[in-house]
Amino acid sequence: MTDLTPITALGASAPRSQDFGAYTLRENSALALVSLAIARCATPPTPFGLTLPSAGCCTTHADYTAFWTSPDQWMITAENLGETDFAATVQNEVPDARLTEQTDGWVAFDITAETDGQIGAVLSRVANLPLIDLTPGKAVRTGFDHMSIFLVRRSERHVTVIVMRTLAVTLWHALETILQRLGDTK
Amino acid sequence: MLIPHPLLGLRDAQEFTYLGDANLLNRPDPTAPDAEAAFCDYVFLRDNPAGKHRELWFHEQGDRSWLVVTRDTLTHEISDVELATDVARRGK
Repeated sequence: MTDLTPITALGASAPRSQDFGAYTLRENSALALVSLAIARCATPPTPFGLTLPSAGCCTTHADYTAFWTSPDQWMITAENLGETDFAATVQNEVPDARLTEQTDGWVAFDITAETDGQIGAVLSRVANLPLIDLTPGKAVRTGFDHMSIFLVRRSERHVTVIVMRTLAVTLWHALETILQRLGDTK
Repeated sequence: MLIPHPLLGLRDAQEFTYLGDANLLNRPDPTAPDAEAAFCDYVFLRDNPAGKHRELWFHEQGDRSWLVVTRDTLTHEISDVELATDVARRGK
């Protein structure tokens, strides 16, 4: 049992990354996730200095991001902590919160663009939502190609798409198809 | 059809799953003497109004909340939407 080889959600030994003209699609296998819930109407904590956001929004502080998932519940993510016990780290930060480790259940794909406005073209093909709900600082859960996905709009040129881990290859294919078309028309 | 989610604004009905009459929230008391008859009505009998209807929708591809949607079955016009948890806690 000592010769196990860790693989990413896409089955390789290293995260996949591909350029499509002005766009880059990158598997982020180092993203740690944990869901955090509090009692109804309790005062939201501020783990790692994060202000837990209201419905449909996300907040970022240093390498940590929190996005709203449902009333009194959020997802906390951290860059480069995917191989650590992130739930225990968060539990130390907020001892009264109810936490569930989520890192192994999801895969995150980052889409970055070279100029402002280009991410909007991607999102209009991914989500059946008005783009005003997907501006920087917004985060939603919605349906895409029969998959339930989270869209976390981190900045004008950066969006993270999170899907359940078993759908990693399917989502990569769907995003690849969109980005190939958009990249070709640059 | 667009459903005005109380927290998230207008969302496509494709994100939701329909469960039918909102009277399902009013589960009969299983310890009551007429529980068997009450549960028979609860499980099998539904009103089928041509007009305003209160119904349950589950935001499956969204925030996973249950909503009570008041919809006109003739026009699909939605006149009211509430979180089912709020309705249940209010006891109506």
